[in-house]
Amino acid sequence: MRPRWLQRRLQRRLQRWAAGVLACIGLQAANAATRLLDFTPDERMQILQHGPWPPPSARDAGNALTGRPVAIALGQRLFFDPRLSPDDRLACASCHVPGLAFADGRARGQGRDTLDRHTPSLWNAGHQRWLGWDGAFDSLWSQALHPLRNPREMGTSGAQLQTLLRADTSLSCAWRQTFGTAPASDDEAVILQAAKALGAFVATLQSGRTPFDAFRDALARNDRRAAARYPLAAQRGLRLFIGHGRCSTCHTGPLFSNGEFADTGLPFFVRPGVVDAGRHGGITALLASPYNLLGPYSDKYSDKHGAAPDDAAATKTRHVSQQHRNFGEFKVPSLRNVADTAPYMHDGQLATLQAVIDHYDRLDTDRLHADGEAILRPLQLSAAQRADLLAFLQTLSDPGARRWKPPPPPPPQPTAVSKAASKRCGKV
Amino acid sequence: MAGSRPLLAWAAAAWAVPARAAPAKATLVEVFALAAALAAAPGWAAEAPPACGPHLAGPARQQAEGRGWAIAFAPGAWPVPVGRHFALDITVCPPAGVPAPATLKVDADMPAHQHGMNYRPTVKALGGGRYSAEGLMFHMPGRWRVSFTVDGGAPLTHELRIP
Repeated sequence: MRPRWLQRRLQRRLQRWAAGVLACIGLQAANAATRLLDFTPDERMQILQHGPWPPPSARDAGNALTGRPVAIALGQRLFFDPRLSPDDRLACASCHVPGLAFADGRARGQGRDTLDRHTPSLWNAGHQRWLGWDGAFDSLWSQALHPLRNPREMGTSGAQLQTLLRADTSLSCAWRQTFGTAPASDDEAVILQAAKALGAFVATLQSGRTPFDAFRDALARNDRRAAARYPLAAQRGLRLFIGHGRCSTCHTGPLFSNGEFADTGLPFFVRPGVVDAGRHGGITALLASPYNLLGPYSDKYSDKHGAAPDDAAATKTRHVSQQHRNFGEFKVPSLRNVADTAPYMHDGQLATLQAVIDHYDRLDTDRLHADGEAILRPLQLSAAQRADLLAFLQTLSDPGARRWKPPPPPPPQPTAVSKAASKRCGKV
Repeated sequence: MAGSRPLLAWAAAAWAVPARAAPAKATLVEVFALAAALAAAPGWAAEAPPACGPHLAGPARQQAEGRGWAIAFAPGAWPVPVGRHFALDITVCPPAGVPAPATLKVDADMPAHQHGMNYRPTVKALGGGRYSAEGLMFHMPGRWRVSFTVDGGAPLTHELRIP
């Protein structure tokens, strides 16, 4: 039993300690409050529509291999194999470099020739409605066919693939495990199989969460303390993005893209006297292609996992409408990992993200189509506002995406392992 | 709805009568009368079904009107998601004595942006004045004007605010 004076002393100390703790909590709360902008309900709603992330896994429409591990492994192997090109020099990964956000860091792609457009990042490509800057493709596999066969890109052929498969029993075995049969003897069929395996692999390239996603989710659950960890400059930039800048009119949703096409007043000359028709040409090519989702090469099936059946995925192709304003329109790119995908725009004409902001800041409205988007106007931001917008865009990168490691390149000649695999495959 | 206000006022007055001021028998009569009045009051106990497209009742229901025509419609997803294809369930109600239309065309545009959709919807007649339109997509948030062209006439329009 403690004496009463000691009990009173302990009680006073406890009270002082509790008061100190409460004051500390109060200060921290006040500090958090000052580090979180007073977003209005409308702003909050707009911010929340940029999530949640990640979304459900992507599927490659019209591709029965999508989601199948054995096909994904084959697709990954093909993606990094330079033997797909005639002189064993170019793989898909030569232009879609993992350490460069599956792009190449060049203004214009460099295949067997310098190309007319910038190599787009493949991160989250499976979530995009249209593939290519002009949206000439409606699936990953139909897109993959283009660089495989284009003489200016990889320039491969079915015959080249047949030769490779005959030489590499390990690869031939993986092929057989994926398709259930030996590689098709028909050149056209074998290159189509390669494209579908590549599509299955590329559909898995989904980037992870970003500082913005953490902020967005904190706002969604009213966690002001967690939300306040998001840098103030990024918060101000976000406010500009959804407000004065009206960037989120086109850069909508979790992907920060509405998946459509726009003319933003950029020159679209490929070289003097030659224009890139952009989306207009893309729709022409799409509808003429036998490899679109309405064509005979598109696999028709319903997804047992509950995703949309491919007939629904083909809605876009069935209803797309070609209009005069599509001339010079290019895809609204996703802004996820945008800080890692310089240079920018369809032909890489803007070297830095700052230059992109400057373009919209001083937009030359005389360059816009007369029948194009009517709400575009120069942003006329202050230097501080431009810095804030940049700070926001830099929070859209997944740090883990930069650490994606490619598998070791496949051996050029059959090895003991591949011989064992070929034994499992039987005669191939 | 205006007609329901006196009934509600009467109901409030009846409710406000002190229990001791009236005998129990009279109170019971009042309760039955109140229940009957509330049941009859429009928009209170039971919302009257809309005259055009009664099956479309619900928050997604929209209606375009003009020249005696009414076109009730409901998007398959509500609120309509930006950047996703959706379908419309449509009922066309012609003026009295006018037959059902032979053709119906559906389109949408953003007046403030001076552009339309990037997709051309297809319309299928289901019979009995009902239609389905597929392939619509609002690729931007903002004000969209949905237009219905009946037999090549001037379009009937209705605006939607897409958040």
